Amino acid sequence: MHELSIAATIVESVLEVVSTRGISDVRTVRLAVGELTCVQHEQLRFCYESLAGQTEIKGSALEIELVPAEVKCPHCEYEGAPRYWDEALAAELVPTLQCPQCGKGTEAVRGHECAIRSIQYAS
Amino acid sequence: MIPTIEASPAEIYDIELEHSLLAANAELARKNQELLDQHGITAIDIMGAIGSGKTTLISKLAGKLSDQLGLAVLNGDATTADDVAVIAEAGAQVVQLATVNGCHLDANLVGKALKRLNLEEVNLILIENIGNLICPAEFPLGSRSRIVVVSVTEGPYMVKKHPHMFLGADVVVINKVDLAEAMGVKVDDLKADVHKLKPDIRVIVTSCRTGQGIDEVASVVAPQPSV
Repeated sequence: MHELSIAATIVESVLEVVSTRGISDVRTVRLAVGELTCVQHEQLRFCYESLAGQTEIKGSALEIELVPAEVKCPHCEYEGAPRYWDEALAAELVPTLQCPQCGKGTEAVRGHECAIRSIQYAS
Repeated sequence: MIPTIEASPAEIYDIELEHSLLAANAELARKNQELLDQHGITAIDIMGAIGSGKTTLISKLAGKLSDQLGLAVLNGDATTADDVAVIAEAGAQVVQLATVNGCHLDANLVGKALKRLNLEEVNLILIENIGNLICPAEFPLGSRSRIVVVSVTEGPYMVKKHPHMFLGADVVVINKVDLAEAMGVKVDDLKADVHKLKPDIRVIVTSCRTGQGIDEVASVVAPQPSV
């Protein structure tokens, strides 16, 4: 349940923005979460709502945008979407670091992000 | 229908941020790494499920390596007094890290532990992470490399079930292979699964009971001689 510690960081960060910018009535917090992180969106949303509910940003919604993974192959110069592993026992397809073109090892260039993109509020 | 009054779009404002949620930990990890580099210390993060044999592997490594170099062990996992005794007997400094109910170590805790060690006497630090194959993946600690230990007693599907952990690993140890036949687990299949996720990764097959593969793990974790 590392989602709880991430949710706590989100709430803390939003509260800081609220107090430094003097805003109120936060409606939506938008996140970007990379496909290569192992952050469960549903659990994160639940943890966020539980924690935010005890603060002045109670009732605000968490919107999570999935950032697709991208890999770069040092062997064949391929750059783009990763190869997915359909034998993995997961609810969704699992991105791998195997090059879709030549089958060798690639490096991830995108998909590890976990960040607040924007905070929406009403005045 | 219940009427709802929504603020009109003109009254809704956006604050654009690019605020990384893992940055605080990543920054502390970088500081740990810097401190370790200053002292010429190599740190290795050892991850794996409960019962995969992390502690036993560490005590075997301690037995092999502590004559040759200054070894310290940070125990993040619940470790029995027996394990600590074996590791300490081998001559290693041991610091126990209590996360209470936390499911992963973080760079802050490791940074505090580093302050408890006499770094002048240490060349290698083995960090035993919490027994968990999911959460530690997102929290680098400042180690040079990350080893995932998976054992055949966890069944044939550990890689298929926890792919993320292997994507972030530098070395995979498949442990307890002396029990593979009894468990009906094919070690080659586990290996093939790992390589489907990460083709270049080094996989070492071990048994802490028979001693198979322990020398190879020791050679991987030992600091590279400086050129």
